[in-house]
Order: sequence, then C-alpha cells, then structure tokens
Amino acid sequence: MKNVPTSSFATESKRLVDQGAPLVFLYATDEREALGVFGVHAVFSSGGEFTTLRTEVPQADPVYPSLTPTIMAAHWYERLIFDQFGIRAEGHPDWRRLVHHENIPAGTHPLRKDFAWDTRLPKAHEPYPMHRVEGKGMYEIPVGPIHAGIIEPGHFRFNVRGERIVTLEGKLFFKHKGVEKLVEGKSPQEAFPFIERVSGDMVVGHTLAFAEAVEKVCGASVPARAKALRVIWCELERVSAHVFDIGNMGGMGTGFTFLAAQGFRMVEEMRRMYEDLVGHRFLRGAIVLGGAHNIEKVGTDFILATLARVEREMRAVLSVAYESDGLMERFETTGVLSREAAIAYGARGLPARASGVDFDLRRDHPYAAYRDYAPTVLMKKAGDVRARFSLRAAELFESIRIVREALAALPAGPAATELTYKGGESLGWAESWRGGVIDFVRLDKDGRIERCAISDPSFCNWPLFGEIGPGNIVPDFPLCNKSLNLSYSGTDL
Amino acid sequence: MTILLPTLLILLASPLTVGLVRKFKALFQNRRGASIFQPYWALLSLLRKDMTITRYSSWVFHTVPFVVLGSTIALAALVPAVPIAGTYGNVFLIAGVLALGSVFLVLGGMDTASTFGNMGSSREMSLIALVEPPLFIVFASLALFAGSFGMGDIIAHFTSATAGSHVLTAVTLIALFFVVLAENARYPVDNPATHLELTMVHEAMMLEYSGPYLALLEYASAIKLTVLGTLFVSLLLPSFAASGTVLALLFLGKLILAAFLVAFVESTIVKMRFYRMQEYMALAFLFALGGAALIILSKLSGAV
Repeated sequence: MKNVPTSSFATESKRLVDQGAPLVFLYATDEREALGVFGVHAVFSSGGEFTTLRTEVPQADPVYPSLTPTIMAAHWYERLIFDQFGIRAEGHPDWRRLVHHENIPAGTHPLRKDFAWDTRLPKAHEPYPMHRVEGKGMYEIPVGPIHAGIIEPGHFRFNVRGERIVTLEGKLFFKHKGVEKLVEGKSPQEAFPFIERVSGDMVVGHTLAFAEAVEKVCGASVPARAKALRVIWCELERVSAHVFDIGNMGGMGTGFTFLAAQGFRMVEEMRRMYEDLVGHRFLRGAIVLGGAHNIEKVGTDFILATLARVEREMRAVLSVAYESDGLMERFETTGVLSREAAIAYGARGLPARASGVDFDLRRDHPYAAYRDYAPTVLMKKAGDVRARFSLRAAELFESIRIVREALAALPAGPAATELTYKGGESLGWAESWRGGVIDFVRLDKDGRIERCAISDPSFCNWPLFGEIGPGNIVPDFPLCNKSLNLSYSGTDL
Repeated sequence: MTILLPTLLILLASPLTVGLVRKFKALFQNRRGASIFQPYWALLSLLRKDMTITRYSSWVFHTVPFVVLGSTIALAALVPAVPIAGTYGNVFLIAGVLALGSVFLVLGGMDTASTFGNMGSSREMSLIALVEPPLFIVFASLALFAGSFGMGDIIAHFTSATAGSHVLTAVTLIALFFVVLAENARYPVDNPATHLELTMVHEAMMLEYSGPYLALLEYASAIKLTVLGTLFVSLLLPSFAASGTVLALLFLGKLILAAFLVAFVESTIVKMRFYRMQEYMALAFLFALGGAALIILSKLSGAV
C-alpha cells in the first residue's frame, strides 16, 4: 500500500496503468472516526502482485480528481463510491448516480458509518436521464426491468434506426441487498451466508475470494488438502456453468433447441451431484472459512464418473453444434468486443480472454493450490459470440482435466482449520467462472468486519454492452447478452 | 353440409396440431413433453381469465381478435378438410383472407403504442411484403396446372394427375413450404416458443393481449397452421380415398404429418438472423418462379 496525496492520485494511477498494470479495483473506506478522512484505494495488477494506491480525502470536502478521464475502467467504480460514501470524483465525464434509483433522496450515502442500515428513506424523485439520440428515423426502445420470461430484472434502453442499434445503455441495480453494509460488525463466520448469496450461481467464486482475504488477515495457514479441494470445487462450478451457458446460448439465444435440451439435462445431473456431495445444488457450503468441503473416496468416484459422462456427451453435442451452419452463422460477427475496448473497460474473465486479453487470476496471481494445478490460459482473438462460445467449450475441458489431476493427487490431512480472528486488512481473490472476484476485507481488533468491499466481474463487464451492442440488430441482442451471461445480483451488492 | 362438416373438423382439430408439433419437438429433444391435448386446456383456461387492457387502446384493439379469428375461420371454410370439387375456394380469395388477418394483427400490435407491439408490427409488415409475391406466384402456378382457380379443383387435379406431372410441380411445392413456414411464424422466420421479447415477430404483436382475446388469437394461429399445413401435405401426397369417414381419418393423418414436418424443421435448424429474411424470401420467390416456368413450359409443349 502506497499513500499518495490526493492531488497526484490520478497521475500516479495513470503512470501505473501506462506501465502495464491495469486498474482492477477501486474502493473507499470511511475512516472519519479514527483519522477524520475517507480513504480511496485503487488496486492495480502489476506482474504477479497487487499494488494499492491510497489517498485520503478530507471529510469536510470529500473530493479527489477523477481517474476516469484517463482510466476508463474506473468509471462505474467512481460513481458507485459517490453513491456509497458521497466522495466526489472531480472531472468524471458522466456524473450521474449509479446504484441509487430515482426514489433515493440526494445525499443518501449508506456506507458511511453514521448511516444506520435500517434507516427508512422518504420517497424522492431524483432525475436519472438516460442517453438519447435525436434525429429522423430514430426510435427509442425501453426494455425491462420486467421481462416476458422469468429472468433477473434489468432495464435496457436502445436507440435504434430500423433494426440497427445505434446506442445501448443498461440501467441495472434493481437487486440491492445491502451486503456490504449488512456484513459490517459481523464476524466473518456470521457474514459468510451473505457472501454465499451475492450471486446465486457463483457461490464458490465469491466465498473463495472472501475466505482467502479473511485467512490472510488472520494469518491462518490453510491445509494442503483444503487448498486442492478449493481448486476442485472452483473448477467444478466452472464446468457446470459453462455447460449451462453453451446450452443457453445455442438453445435459447438462437432457437437451436437440441443444444438447450442436452445442456440443461447435463447441468441438472451435475447439480444433483452437488446436492448429494455438499448438500446444496449451487455448492453453498463447498468453501468454508479455513478450508473446504471434504471429498471422500466415494465422492471422488462419483465426480469422476459424472465428469467422464459429461465430457463424452459434451464432445458429441458440440460436434453437432459446430456442424450446424445456421448456428455458426448466427454466432459469427455478432456482438464483437475489440481487444482495445476489453482492456479499456477492464473487462474480466472469459469475455476478455475471448477478445485476446491474456489474463487469468489462477495463473497470474495464484491462490489456493493453483500454483500446482496451473491452467493453460486459453484465448480467442475474434471477440464475437462464436469466440465466447468456443472458448467456453475449451475452458470446460481444461477444467475437467484440472479436476481429474487434483483428485488423483489429493493430499491427505484435514480439510479445514480453525481460524483465530485478528485485526487487519487484506485482499482476497478468485477467478470464478464469470471472471475475477476481488475482495477487500478489514477486520477490527475484535475480529469483526469493519469494511468488506467486493468487486464482482459482472460489475466490470456490464458496461461492455455499450461497446458490444451498437451495430448489431435488435433481435441479436439477447444472443449477445447470453454470450456474456452476467449476473444482475452480483452487480448490485 | 359439404362445407360445414369438413370446416368444423378443422376447427375442432386445430389445437391438436399445435399439441402435436410441441409433442414431436419434445420427442426430438429426448423430453417427454406435455399431452397433445394440452392446447385445448390452455385455450379453455385463457377463456376463463380476466383481461388486462391498457387504457391507451382504441376500438381497433378490441376488434382485432374477432377479425383475425374470423379470417382464419373463413380460411378453414375455403380450404375444408374434404376438398370440394369445382371452382369453390378461389386461390386469390384465400390469399386475400390471409392478408386480411395479417393486416389486422399488425393494427392490433400498433394500437396500444407499446414498444414491442410496434416492433413486431414493423417486422411483420416487412415480412408480409416479402412473402406475398411467392405466395401469389405459387397459387397462380397451381391454378394454371389444374386449369381452375378453385382449391378443390387443384387438389382433385393433383389426385388424378400422372406421376410425371407431379415432378413438374415439385419446385412449386418447395416454394409453398417456404411460404407456409413464413405465414405461420415458424422457423426459420420466427420462433413461436421464445420468451425473448426483442426477437419476437408474431408473439410481439400479441404481447398486449390477455385472457379470452389471447385465446381467440392463439386459436386463430392454430387454425391457420392446420389449414396451410394440411393443404401442403394434400398437395405433397395426393389422396385417393373417396368415402367420408376415410377422408376424415385421412385428414388426421395429414395433420400428424404436417405437425411432424414443422417439428422436424424446428428441431434441426436455427432461427435466421432477421436481416437475412430477404434471402430466405428471395429463395422462396426463386422457387416459385422456377415452378411457374416449368408448368408454363409444359403447358405450352402440351406435356400435361
């Protein structure tokens, strides 16, 4: 952690980014009681390490020069920090509220320590102007947050000319749960169920990042068996998520019903296996503080048999998919994300790798037992739906390989250790199937959470739609959307 | 009576066609699927529900379900389950009735000024403009082939024609198949099973309808699919049966075959990109023209 004066915060950050250390996280802390200031922290990924720049802004006039004009990846974080803490980023090009809706009164900053979590707010009507394009033949399409199907709520505003998308803007944040506020004052164990519920389908990703952070604060040494088990659970979650997405893109996105029927059937088989092994279909309980859910001999055989079947059947299903010209025609050139845009927006995970960004936390910042089971980081160049589809397929088989390897060499010993809570702060991270999760956890001297900031990959990837959408036609948007499969709940903590 | 009973047969059997298509699709996906009679229960339960109608709608919104259903019932009467010999069921009247239903559905989609209704209507208008030329050419070719504008005569002529002359109409039938899929909002033009409002055409126009009105519109779609589907099968496999009961059974067979064809198409291909629709329609137009040329040439040379 490096302290920099507020005046040089933006220039120092730019210098790091120019040196090839991308901004991966920006969070704030309320330290008015101890120091009379707010802390703003920018985290950069520089060659196998995370570098944090910290600046202190005075509580009387919480302003700092915005990073966004030079670092695009900061644009949503800075708006989020203003909504949460009321810290203003001077010179931000799009200074609207982000997570607060029209009905939240101006000046509400719920993550300040003097804001009680159960405060009842009066209903306000603050404006939230969405981008508009005027002109002959321009047509505005509002979609959602209530949709024709049962999916998560999100509002999208299209400006179209005919069927062609000119601009596309999302308005999400209809699923606020108050996780970051609610876990404050709780012990990590009490907070754990909240972390499991940040995004229902990436339980392992979120709990692993949180557990790693807490364990680092406590100086706990996690047993070798637990570390390997964490790799296994994490990769299993990736396998089932990718099988689902392959079915969903092919099946629901284009109407290729065969893919959907087969993919969803296999996912269901895997979820039933999770229920049998862990007691939860979405793997709640697979990661615990200080360890992971143990896998016995019977479980190993069960997993191996299921994976063998899934691998064989997925190969058969995918060969049918790749031979369907109609399907490939729908995928190719649809929803292109350029490499420059992926880097500028700080895109995470698979969508970034499908556009040629060579970054994977498992290899570049190894955690758990990933040093021993390093994945081959797979990439595509095209950045279209086809690239994301085939990258999912490739990653899926790579994950199956890792699970097999880790199961074969599972170290003996306990699967978890007891934690003794201590004060302190640390980052923890994990490459979930959606992309990197980075958590900042600060415990007070009693081992209670003082601040927990969560960076979810969906939050980083949602703004990509402004890049991916334009140029496509409206009926292809759902396919682009499915090719990224972002979480609404994970975006809105 | 000759018209009434066969028409009633279509009206009674049409939800079954939809049920069969869904059942076959489910079987193609290794699923068990719902009962083939499910559409009957769905329609009945819709009839018992309340309607939610936006106050921004006009009388057009209320008229549309009746006109659309009326036009498809007229269609069923023009192309009854048992063909009627003579000039009954003029092919251009059939095309006109089809257009009437489509235009009113478009008006219904636009009346509430909802985004999706307008989007569906604008797409449907583009599609109608593209599907009508092949439709008219196909009908004209069939009339020329049979030497009569009556659909009954056309089917009768197919029944009695020689094997050689059937080969001549094969190209026209391919075009007819393209048209039937497009007219009924099936793959690769539209996806009747989707929940993605941004991709809808036919469903988007019906999105604001609920309860009994929705039942009328769904029923109308089912009738249209049954009439055009069985018409295609009749021309593809001309029947030779004569007596009434056998004809009724035969109709059921045609219906099952039509449902199977639709389900087969929808299980093996994907929906096309919307902006490639003109290519699909151009292909249909090309087949229609080719079929017409073949029939005209054979007429001129006296082969048929």
